[in-house]
Amino acid sequence: MSGPAEPGTAPRISDATGDRFPGFNVLDQVSHWDPVTAGLVLSRVGRPPDIRFFSPAEEAAATALCDRLLGQGGEPKVAVVPHIDARLTEQETDGWRYADMPEDRQAWRESLRFLDEDSRAACSREFARASAEDQRAVIQAVQDLGAKDWHGLCAAHVWSLWTRYACTAFYAHPSAWNEIGFPGPAYPRGYKNPGVDAREPYEVADARPSADPLDGKGR
Amino acid sequence: MAAVRERNESAWLLPNDGSRTNHRLREDMRRFADSDLVDLVVVGCGAGGSTLLQRLARRGWQVVGLDAGPFWDPDADWVSDEAGSHHLYWTEPRVISGTDPVPMGSNNSGRGVGGSMVHYAGYTPRFHPSDFATWTNDGVGADWPISYRDLRPYYEDIEQELPVAGEDWPWGDPHSYPQRPHPVGGNGEIFLRGAYASGITAKVGPVAISNGRFGNRPHCIYRGFCLQGCKVNAKASPLITHIPDALAHGAEIRANSMVTGIGFDERTGRATGVHYIRGGVPRFQRAAVVAVAGYSIETPRLLLNSASRRFPDGMCNDFDQVGRYLMVQGAPQTAGRFAAEVRMYKSPPPEVSSEQFYETDPGKPYQRGFSIQTVSPLPITWAEHMAAQGHWGADLRRYMSDYVHWSCLGALCEFLAQPGNRVTLAEEKDRYGLPVANFSYSQCDNDKQLVRAAQDVMEQILHAAGADEVITIDRYAHLVGGARMASDERHGVVDGNCRSFAVPNLYITDGSVLPTQGAANPALTIMAVAARGAAHLTAGGR
Repeated sequence: MSGPAEPGTAPRISDATGDRFPGFNVLDQVSHWDPVTAGLVLSRVGRPPDIRFFSPAEEAAATALCDRLLGQGGEPKVAVVPHIDARLTEQETDGWRYADMPEDRQAWRESLRFLDEDSRAACSREFARASAEDQRAVIQAVQDLGAKDWHGLCAAHVWSLWTRYACTAFYAHPSAWNEIGFPGPAYPRGYKNPGVDAREPYEVADARPSADPLDGKGR
Repeated sequence: MAAVRERNESAWLLPNDGSRTNHRLREDMRRFADSDLVDLVVVGCGAGGSTLLQRLARRGWQVVGLDAGPFWDPDADWVSDEAGSHHLYWTEPRVISGTDPVPMGSNNSGRGVGGSMVHYAGYTPRFHPSDFATWTNDGVGADWPISYRDLRPYYEDIEQELPVAGEDWPWGDPHSYPQRPHPVGGNGEIFLRGAYASGITAKVGPVAISNGRFGNRPHCIYRGFCLQGCKVNAKASPLITHIPDALAHGAEIRANSMVTGIGFDERTGRATGVHYIRGGVPRFQRAAVVAVAGYSIETPRLLLNSASRRFPDGMCNDFDQVGRYLMVQGAPQTAGRFAAEVRMYKSPPPEVSSEQFYETDPGKPYQRGFSIQTVSPLPITWAEHMAAQGHWGADLRRYMSDYVHWSCLGALCEFLAQPGNRVTLAEEKDRYGLPVANFSYSQCDNDKQLVRAAQDVMEQILHAAGADEVITIDRYAHLVGGARMASDERHGVVDGNCRSFAVPNLYITDGSVLPTQGAANPALTIMAVAARGAAHLTAGGR
């Protein structure tokens, strides 16, 4: 969390979804979690790891990229890049790479540099200094390439790399769980009330159940 | 269950005080010296390796199991959390290629004692009798050198040892399970409702999750983190179903030991033991028999990395069979959106399945079939699905905020064995200096037709259950093959007893020996094949 945070709390992130689970706070249940899991999850709401892998320029580009990919605008927000940086420092990969891609560390460095190149060509500014709108346009152009070539890399494989690392870091955070109504760890208590439209006492009903993203009503 | 305890006491050797590991059993474990000529060394302590260890230790063999990963303690090492479970997967470097490259890691690869069964969902269906003769029956795939009938008694034994819970099973060779079916959560409810409405038979199970106390293993608590390692000890993995009994009968488990090569005597033509690295120190364990059980990527890789004068292209590779006919299942996941809250994260992901479409349907243009199961991804996996759909930014966040309304089914499509789908050695080396595996995968037309057919059925079920929207993402599941069993050395690497054709005291006892994969999750079959191989060894096959 890069905004002000009480220890052991997971503030509401800046709004992209309209607070569908009002008052829901997964960290209210910490006392019901096993200590190993609780320690791990609480570490994510504490101070993020220091940047060790990315250069300052790469850090800036990665931060802008992840903000756009995850729809994070103002503060407070989930700090994603320090966790990606930690994984790359520790070489904690997913255990595979595409044969036409360099290994993950090099692929991140190269792809961030290519974002800067595309951004300079489009708006004469490094990616991190471009407007959010221009950043989105640069990202969209990469996605639109599909399996085609992007600076010598398969665009779809770059997309997979970015979104895997970004989604893993973001949806590991209790603030993201609050936003989607997911209560996080469940050991040793488990669930006593599974089933359609059944909730545990600490789960919160969706305040806007008709906000189906597919038909545009939630926008 | 008394009979089970008499032949495998694992569940009774676990603590009953709320902790999950019998530390005393591990501290008191027998320890062999590298210079001891043990009866058997096993490479890999997953489904196949652990079953073999337990069977042979019971018969008085001196056995050592090596595993590249840790000897897990569920209390201290595992968390009830998705991102924090990364260390359960094999994440050493691997290269994927082909026209349809298959992601590895969390998807299909385990590490440490218990293997990938530590993080498998828990589905344990049997293969159908037809799976053993697809070449004869359907003109595709391959025939096994053994039949379903040969494996059936081992299926029955393992189902009792895990134990498996489920309804009476109407498909394949109809059978029942030792435990009653579990209650289902929201996702299972949706599947059952949709299947009923569309005239499709679906059944609860079969899952290797204890329904009720089993020995000192407690009842499932339905927390939904089966894929992150079961902290409860309710879901079966060899770590709790076979290793404790093996230890009690004198087996040694040597964890954090990466095997780098199989020793070979050029004069006798026999395997002599295994080279391994532990704590950075290269060592060699002597053994009278070597069994490789590193699964479909690491087993071929080890054989290919074990070249010698006799085997210039890798051990047992006289006929270029090592690494070939590797299979994955097409595993498209179709999700449906419901106005009600499904909250599929509550309850184990494996709940309900249907094998109605498993067999070849003469009315269809494709051979073989698929099964359908509940899958219930947790948020990170779900987010990767949404991103794979092309959603990002605020759009991704909106989709994700709708998570509680979605139900998700997965298919297992029987992709066919093809020689070009194989493991070779890449240029890249791992930290031990060994070439890493390059796994090339390309689908054939039959594969693609099965995926589309499975998607249609899943969409039909979800719509029938009341979904207003459905989406599908393509993915893969499981691995088998790569060192298959066959009737002769020109068509495979091992015989029907898992003994290699080329080296008489070298066995392969893991999923890599399977010639076909059916539309079933492979864990139970891997264990049954290993148990059968063990019976052959103890009957004098040594």
